[in-house]
Amino acid sequence: MIELPILDESRQSTVRQSNQGASQQKLWRSVSELRDAESLQELARLEFAPGAMDAPTESSRRTFLQLMGASMALAGLAGCRKPYEKILPYARHPEEIIEGVPMYYATAMPFRGSLLGVLVESHEGRPTKIEGNPQHPVSQGATGVFEQASVLDLYDPDRSKTVMEQGGQTTWEAFGAAVAALPASTRLAVLCEETSSPTILGMRSALAARFAQTRWVTYSGLGDNTELAGYASAFGRGVRPLYRFSQASVVVSFDADFLASTDRNFVSNTREFAASRSTENATMSRLYAVEGMYSTTGGMSDHRLRVRPSEVASVAAAVAAGVGAIPPRGGDGFASNPMVRAIVEELNGAGSRGVVLAGENQPQVVHELCAAINSRLGAIGTTVDLVDVSGTTTASDADFRRLVSDMKGGAVDVLLMVGVNPVYDAPGGFDFGGALGSVGTTIHIGTHRDETAAASTWHLPRTHYLESWGDGRAYDGTLSVIQPLIAPLYPDCRSEIEILNLIATGEQASGYDLVRRQWSGVLSGDFEAAWRRTLHDGFVPGSGFQSVSGRASAPSTQVPAASTGLEIQIRPDTRLLDGSFANNAWLQETPDLVTKIVWDNVAVMNHATAEALGVSNTLTNGQYHVDEVELTFDGRKVLIPAWILPGVADNTIVLTLGSGRTLLSDRAERKPIFFDTDAKTDVYGDGPIANGVGQRVAHLRSTSSSRILSGVTAARSGATNYPIATTQDHGAMDTPDIREVIARREPVRIAPLAKYKAHEAHFQEPPLAGATEPWESYPALWEERHPTKSDAYRDSPYFQNQWAMTIDLNLCTGCNACMLACQSENNIQVVGKDQVNRGRELHWIRIDRYFMTEHGEGDIDDAKMVVQPIPCQHCENAPCESVCPVAATVHSPDGTNQMIYNRCIGTRYCANNCPYKVRRFNFYNWTKTLPMSVQFAQNPNVTVRSRGVMEKCSYCIQRIRKANKQSNVENRPIREGDVKTACQQACAASAITFGDLNDPTSAISRKKQSDRRYELLAELSVKPRTSYLGRITNPNPALETEA
Amino acid sequence: MSSKRTDILQAATVAEQSDDPLLVHGGLSFHDITDLVSYHTEKKTPVAWLGAFALANIGLLTLVACIAYLFWNGVGVWGLNNPVGWGYAIVNFVFWVGIGHAGTLISAILFLFRQKWRTGINRSAEAMTIFAVICALVFPGIHVGRVWAAYWMLPIPNQMQMWPQFKSPLLWDVFAVSVYFTVSLVFWYIGLIPDLASLRDRAKTSLRQKVLGFFSMGWTGANRHWRHYEKAYLLLAALATPLVLSVHSVVSFDFAVSVVPGWHTTIFPPYFVAGAIFSGFAMVVTLLVIARRIYGIEDIITVDHLEKMNMIILLTGTMVGFAYITEFFIAWYSGVQYEQYAFKNRAFGPYAWAYWTMMSCNLIFPQFFWVKKLRRSVPFMFVMSIFVNIGMWFERFVITVTSLHRDYLPSSWDYYTPTMIDVLTLIGSFGLFFTLFLLFLRFLPMVAMAEVKGVMPEADPHFYGHGDGQAHAHPPTLSPTVD
Repeated sequence: MIELPILDESRQSTVRQSNQGASQQKLWRSVSELRDAESLQELARLEFAPGAMDAPTESSRRTFLQLMGASMALAGLAGCRKPYEKILPYARHPEEIIEGVPMYYATAMPFRGSLLGVLVESHEGRPTKIEGNPQHPVSQGATGVFEQASVLDLYDPDRSKTVMEQGGQTTWEAFGAAVAALPASTRLAVLCEETSSPTILGMRSALAARFAQTRWVTYSGLGDNTELAGYASAFGRGVRPLYRFSQASVVVSFDADFLASTDRNFVSNTREFAASRSTENATMSRLYAVEGMYSTTGGMSDHRLRVRPSEVASVAAAVAAGVGAIPPRGGDGFASNPMVRAIVEELNGAGSRGVVLAGENQPQVVHELCAAINSRLGAIGTTVDLVDVSGTTTASDADFRRLVSDMKGGAVDVLLMVGVNPVYDAPGGFDFGGALGSVGTTIHIGTHRDETAAASTWHLPRTHYLESWGDGRAYDGTLSVIQPLIAPLYPDCRSEIEILNLIATGEQASGYDLVRRQWSGVLSGDFEAAWRRTLHDGFVPGSGFQSVSGRASAPSTQVPAASTGLEIQIRPDTRLLDGSFANNAWLQETPDLVTKIVWDNVAVMNHATAEALGVSNTLTNGQYHVDEVELTFDGRKVLIPAWILPGVADNTIVLTLGSGRTLLSDRAERKPIFFDTDAKTDVYGDGPIANGVGQRVAHLRSTSSSRILSGVTAARSGATNYPIATTQDHGAMDTPDIREVIARREPVRIAPLAKYKAHEAHFQEPPLAGATEPWESYPALWEERHPTKSDAYRDSPYFQNQWAMTIDLNLCTGCNACMLACQSENNIQVVGKDQVNRGRELHWIRIDRYFMTEHGEGDIDDAKMVVQPIPCQHCENAPCESVCPVAATVHSPDGTNQMIYNRCIGTRYCANNCPYKVRRFNFYNWTKTLPMSVQFAQNPNVTVRSRGVMEKCSYCIQRIRKANKQSNVENRPIREGDVKTACQQACAASAITFGDLNDPTSAISRKKQSDRRYELLAELSVKPRTSYLGRITNPNPALETEA
Repeated sequence: MSSKRTDILQAATVAEQSDDPLLVHGGLSFHDITDLVSYHTEKKTPVAWLGAFALANIGLLTLVACIAYLFWNGVGVWGLNNPVGWGYAIVNFVFWVGIGHAGTLISAILFLFRQKWRTGINRSAEAMTIFAVICALVFPGIHVGRVWAAYWMLPIPNQMQMWPQFKSPLLWDVFAVSVYFTVSLVFWYIGLIPDLASLRDRAKTSLRQKVLGFFSMGWTGANRHWRHYEKAYLLLAALATPLVLSVHSVVSFDFAVSVVPGWHTTIFPPYFVAGAIFSGFAMVVTLLVIARRIYGIEDIITVDHLEKMNMIILLTGTMVGFAYITEFFIAWYSGVQYEQYAFKNRAFGPYAWAYWTMMSCNLIFPQFFWVKKLRRSVPFMFVMSIFVNIGMWFERFVITVTSLHRDYLPSSWDYYTPTMIDVLTLIGSFGLFFTLFLLFLRFLPMVAMAEVKGVMPEADPHFYGHGDGQAHAHPPTLSPTVD
């Protein structure tokens, strides 16, 4: 096709000759012709005549055109192709792996000093999803937000990857040599995170053997454990209370947010509390919450006493005095408060079926009071299971204070920091950063090059728990082995056990050997069998702490008087904890439980306080712009945006820890072309996720045990238009207009227990009369248009199951665990603060939070906070389906509303027409900019959505189809429990029920017959498959009549 | 002076003496009209036109740049969010489709109703229709998330054996608007043929002769040609008439068929049609007030013509206003709290400014046209027509955005703010419109010469006869003749 240059010498010469012949012609017509011929000859004499460089070919023009044509055609063809991606099969097939079938391994996640038993889903050696370990006594299959999100931490692109010395890269060999050179007389101090690992405890003695002057200090950025200290003081020994709310009839929380994921025993607390709230019980527990700002627990309470955080101690003392746990005391007036009187009366009546507990943000004395009250009520052994934790370590404020002063005094030669970040989170009163400079050698072991790593001599990269061997105890003491799911992603990462061993012995032993060596003393009998069994089950049965009993003594310390003036309470963040989860994009974009704010931390206060400070929140054009306040305590300052929220006590500001991080990362900065929006939309684009988010408040504290700061000054300062992104527009619910709308629409339906028992509560009555739908006629649509009658579905066996869901609002606490589980299971992308502010977040299940007052009137600070998870309702008569012009959203024969991503062209009509607004649109290509490591976290069973398509909850269709396949293989129908949606699986309260309506014995069929069932917006006749079960409150009649 | 000229002057005198004014003023003859209109397509390109064209082209390039930016990055460059899935793009689409309605109404419905005054304006109004529909058609194509798959909305046989989903009003839109565009274009072109032939016959260059010769399809003005032509024109007018009503009814179904409070309203089809005619006439007034002045055709497009259009603006504006009030009444009367809130929120919610802009521009301002003096005042009607254009754009904005931004569950409420790209795209669509309209003014006869001549007194077969004097007694007038 393409003509090649003439290579034939003989032919080439004839061509030349003929040319010469032409030029030698003597015939000419004009002088110019003759002259031109001469000038041509002149040119021919030149060495490089024009065209001499060209290939000697007869048809260069044609060749040119041919080549052009061919290359354009090829370029066109190449343009039609998708980019090549190589998929390589296993050259040698690993044993046990079946491609496409995930493996599950039991392991455990360290969290605040305890282990959480988890079951990890692994696809071809790549962990993608964390579930609770169903057999583990604490987890029982449920999880909180942190377990779900921890898988993303594994793939965090900003993880530390190399050993660093003085900010420069170095090697483990160099570190090993440096440590080996340390003399035995080195005064070593280990500042270790809270841990329950027997192996690490073993390392402690190994270190002591190597360096005689070793001291070990346990540290936590959240401060010391006041509950443990309080109970230890009350009972005279190291005991830990495990609350058995299921046994309780009265629960009183003194600022205890025991239903939030931040709680060490969150899963157990939530399950126990849910059990006590079941309407199927003969009695239902009653929860009193005494708190300064709404918490998850306060939202679940039947009665809430809004007091300033520093007043909680006085309330607790008044209650303690009322039940006779401490001698009567006068003064602060809470004894005569009607709520306190009612609490006392109820506790006295409940006796051993009552339980009180205090929050970690309360000082030790409140916990001592609670211990005394519980002891006095006889609750120890019934509602409070006291376990012996002597011999375990806990963060200690006093030890830390001594260490810091020794560091300053030069009494520490080497400081080894294991998994802690005190430069960032140590209280400002200690001046840890200053003390660090006085230590000769500082070694930091951590997963990130964080603030402490930057200030240390050595930084050693640490493995994630899914990459390393380890061990420890669950909150109830159950022993587990942490087994890795994957080899370290970055080969230089080592586990803290391996590093401690290297320092202590100079040996490069593997974590596996070290843990096994330790466990040879733990497991009895046939070690190999017991070891294998432990790895398989994920825990050692019956290895929990021993229950003990005892009597609590009255508090030794005086109950502090409530402060006057402005005060600050500092809480752990419900999403970032102490900042250790701050580089997790999923968690940054998880709305706070109460404020619904993402990608920020704020100073929360009520209207009265805000007015006094002269700060305001302005909602303009759907975006919040707020004033900043400067808070000063003891000379330390924080400039932070102010947020106005109902239900906060007057003169109180609540701050959360965990924001304002500064991480170092070697990730290349994104530099897109000017017309590309990637720079604005890529959340991973501007370096580490955590950087630039919120304000650091940890340093405001004097000591780690001071969570309530009195004598604070606050003043409006800084910006007046700081943008705050929330996932709920109505935020503070300011206008009476909107309050009335919420009251009239009743998305969350509530009835008091008495009315419900008397069958006077009508949950089904929708705002529009005449739309009541008895259960018997409910799946009418499906019967009418039975799939067997439809051409498309006739041959599909799937119609044999009709999937449906109920969400029990009586049990749901709004803890966000379902949201994170869904995010992990369904590859939901993170969009960043700016895009959330534009209303483009992608969560498939959202937790709506409303404040409710009677008929929309009354003081909004006394409003009731209610929550409602909203996934796709899978309407049988789905409004989204009929309006799609390309049939991209259709109904499946098994009754789910499906989204066909590769058919969707993105008209967004379906989202407009969805009354629940659960459809989420991909305004940009969110996956294009995902760092490679984050792509590993995606679930291969769920399509990753492209730009311009709609997405929404699918009832975890991939799980349904997996169960379909399995049952087909086994030639049996799908059984109850074969399919669990991700949200359902994570829910500790078991508020979500999912199953087959065609099975009359299934849990879902029973739940659907509940008299609390109602469908949201039933009056639209969209026939949702998802139903809600109305919430029942259990108010104290005595208080009701008084109010 | 020829005798013909005298006859015209006589006719003019007669008309001035009767109650009904003449349609063409200034005593123009057939030849004068041909000259007057054709001249503008034959003269050297005026500098002013070039300036205007350059300005319009800047707008067009803005549109192209905005669309390129959109295609590269995604729909996120617009201000849309989760509750508000439709914004400027759909507002602009409905706005432009609405604008188009005046042309078809003038050329088809008024033709069938023998409204002879339409002849002066129908050509430019129809051109405006076609250009407005072209502007409108830009938006459904670009507003989808995956533009490269937008053609899936068309019923094209394919290997997936997938048809579009015929229950979706968006698909009805595809059919309604494409049929409307096709019929309008054909109708316009058929109407152009005699005039193109006139231009061809006047052409001085061979290129002009060939191009015009091709497009005038061998028109010779023969009796048979006229017979076929008029039959075809009548048939197309009959075909286009239901489309005037159907297109905007179907467009309104995009909203009316949904469950969104504020959209789910049965009054939408007639109300949208009235609104479309309202906005279309306003646009015709805006354009012609300028064009007749610049091109010196004030004797052909007279103040009488403009007054008639203003009367229609007054009528349809009041109809639209009545619909606004009816919606409120029905919301209250239905007892449905969602409807009630949707309308309350429209008038007093965060978008109240848009609502009251719409109310004042569409209902209140046109009421000035009750006053004959204002109705005939060219500067006043120009300002008023701009107001109506603004008001009708806001009507679509109010319907689309205020209904979506607060629907059923208060937790999902949000606010829609357009981005710069949204605004520039809207401006750019005007650039496209004016580019096309300027090309039309430059290269095609802006007045239907043949039709105007047909309604002049001389066109009456009895005009030159002086036999029975009927023609003198009843020259063609603005109002239909009694017989």
